[in-house]
Amino acid sequence: MESLNLKKITSLWIITILVLFVVAIVLGIVMRLNQGEVIKLEPLAFYTNMTTHGITMIGIWFVAGMVSVNYLMERYVKTSYSINLFAFVLTVIGVVILWTCTYIGNFSSGWTFLYPLPLKDSGSAPWATPMYLVALTILGIAWLVWSVSLMAQVLKKYSFSQLLAWQHLKSNPKVETPPFILISTVTLIGVIASLIAAVIVIVLYFAEYFSNGNFVNDALLMKNLTYFFGHTIANEMLYLGVAVIYEIFAEVSGRPKWKTTWYVALAWNCSLVFILTAFFHHLYMDFVQPEGLQIIGQLASYLASIPAVGVTVFTIILAVYRVRIKWSIVNLLFFIGVIGWVIGGLGAVIDATISNNVVLHNTLWVPAHFHTYNAMGNVLFSLAFFYWFSTQHIKILVISNQTLYTMGLLLIGGIGFLIAFYMGGADSVPRRYSTYPSGLASASYLAKIGASFAMLYLGAVLIFFYNISKRCFGILYSSPY
Amino acid sequence: MQQDSILHFFLILAAISTIVFVFVFFSSWQDDTNNEGVKNALRKRFWFILILLVSLGIFASVTIPKSPYFLFADEVPSKIIHVSAMQYAFLLSEKNIDAKNPVGESIILPSNRLVEFRVTSLDVNHGFAIYNSEMQLITQTQAMPGYVNSLRYKFDKPGKYQVLCLELCGVGHPVMQSTFKVQ
Ligand code: HEM
Ligand SMILES: [Cu+2]
Repeated sequence: MESLNLKKITSLWIITILVLFVVAIVLGIVMRLNQGEVIKLEPLAFYTNMTTHGITMIGIWFVAGMVSVNYLMERYVKTSYSINLFAFVLTVIGVVILWTCTYIGNFSSGWTFLYPLPLKDSGSAPWATPMYLVALTILGIAWLVWSVSLMAQVLKKYSFSQLLAWQHLKSNPKVETPPFILISTVTLIGVIASLIAAVIVIVLYFAEYFSNGNFVNDALLMKNLTYFFGHTIANEMLYLGVAVIYEIFAEVSGRPKWKTTWYVALAWNCSLVFILTAFFHHLYMDFVQPEGLQIIGQLASYLASIPAVGVTVFTIILAVYRVRIKWSIVNLLFFIGVIGWVIGGLGAVIDATISNNVVLHNTLWVPAHFHTYNAMGNVLFSLAFFYWFSTQHIKILVISNQTLYTMGLLLIGGIGFLIAFYMGGADSVPRRYSTYPSGLASASYLAKIGASFAMLYLGAVLIFFYNISKRCFGILYSSPY
Repeated sequence: MQQDSILHFFLILAAISTIVFVFVFFSSWQDDTNNEGVKNALRKRFWFILILLVSLGIFASVTIPKSPYFLFADEVPSKIIHVSAMQYAFLLSEKNIDAKNPVGESIILPSNRLVEFRVTSLDVNHGFAIYNSEMQLITQTQAMPGYVNSLRYKFDKPGKYQVLCLELCGVGHPVMQSTFKVQ
């Protein structure tokens, strides 16, 4: 059973994540207001904001997934409390250094810090780039140690092939691999691979930085490595949330637990490969990239949707269709989150089609679709877990009117905010522009609309924040019974 | 425009998915006491995956041949334009551009003839995105230091075209532009 220590560290994580979430949403609204010409920031201030928003959001929702998986994993194996705490401390230190780099050192190259911009960025202080890389190293090491330690713990109970549920591919398996363990394994392998790529990118950066011009990196290789890291981590964090759904959706709905079958095992094993090769779609517009890789990119992006949509979504639908289940805020958030995930995924598959990418690449279509499966997908998965975690001993999981209104606010705000992005994308509005050229007629108007709806979303998040953190503080200050 | 059909296609798919989910959600409220639900929601459902695979397969085989790498691949361009991107300007020229002493010139292109842009960068990554006179993005490629991307296009409408940068390249990114004419 989960120890009190684990509950406390989980509460601490959740409160920290939610505080940073609120701040990062405000930064997002500030960006949209600037693009709508309601406020006026210097371009440099806009880009430091954008970089902070991006890296903070990716960081917190990644750790939110890790925290949930770590907590639930305790049902199967003992996890290390000290490593969880170690990851927390290093994450906080990393975030503080990152914010120092962006807000004091004016580091503003975007969260993907695409080579060689950070080395040739006139706007920032000379120490900002090396320090940003140091901060990423700290986060990378903390998260790598955490992921590896979780893997090491499950490997004590299951063999490697059992973790990947290979015995389910034959008939009558003797050992059952729970779906949660299978998906966590597939995801953690991806996380570890992507973090290793990040470490390589950072090492290559430092090699050039300290070589006094004797060593210059290859821009195409650096771009491949950067997106292998960036794309993979941004996707795997969603799968961490999905693992949580497999573990607790049936349980909170008062239904029998889901069990691994051969085709679930097969689908997730395939997805391990597809997720790791789909990143090639970030390089479609680099025509010097070998054509074979471009086509692999499109096929892998398509195929990656099969375990996600074909298995998870269909399972959720079947679990609910004409079944009297106990609805609560927890499974409702999961359910709506899955819709957001599907719709964002549709936007992603459309963009991952090379012939569409020619007119969508680096337009607002890109933030449109990734905000859909993050702000209306992954965030809801994590909020559901946070609710479930913070209320597990109190039976107040009914849907009150207040809950319904808050959900309504979240939905209306989120949908309006996203539609403004999608319409901007279809109107050829570039992403990452602090202000828009006057020729793009709809751009700043859409930005104003997006900002207004984002404020409704923020309102709903504040209510959730209050409800969840109130209970988490209760757990944090509770003493052993 | 391609973008409009993409948006409509997306909105229709999004609406269908939403309707399915809402329908499923309300079906769980009706009084159907006989229904015990499925024992294990992860049971196999081969046909569903098959439909998904087939439709994705059709989609891929229709779209992949339209990729920019294969367009006009076996035609000979009637004009070659060299492009060097730098923080925060584009240099376009019919002659090779010398990286040590880069200069550009104003460009007029023929309509309905194949043009090839040979795009590179002198500093960081940039995007080379061509917008028509209605400010619709019609095609693009990346400008990457150390590499040359060849982008082929046939302009069917005469008029003024704009080039915008579509890869974050520093504080001047949103004002990095250029123009050329098609006659
Ligand atoms: C309602 C809440 C949010 C608002 C108002 C917001 C707003 C924005 C805006 C305006 C941008 C810049 C778009 C552009 O390129 O012009 C942006 C970028 C971004 N956002 Fe959000 N966002 C929100 C939620 C999220 C969430 C939940 C995530 C979770 C992962 C996220 C991750 C990112 C990332 C990674 C970028 C890219 C930064 C970059 O280009 O370097 N955002 N957001
Ligand atoms: Cu630029």
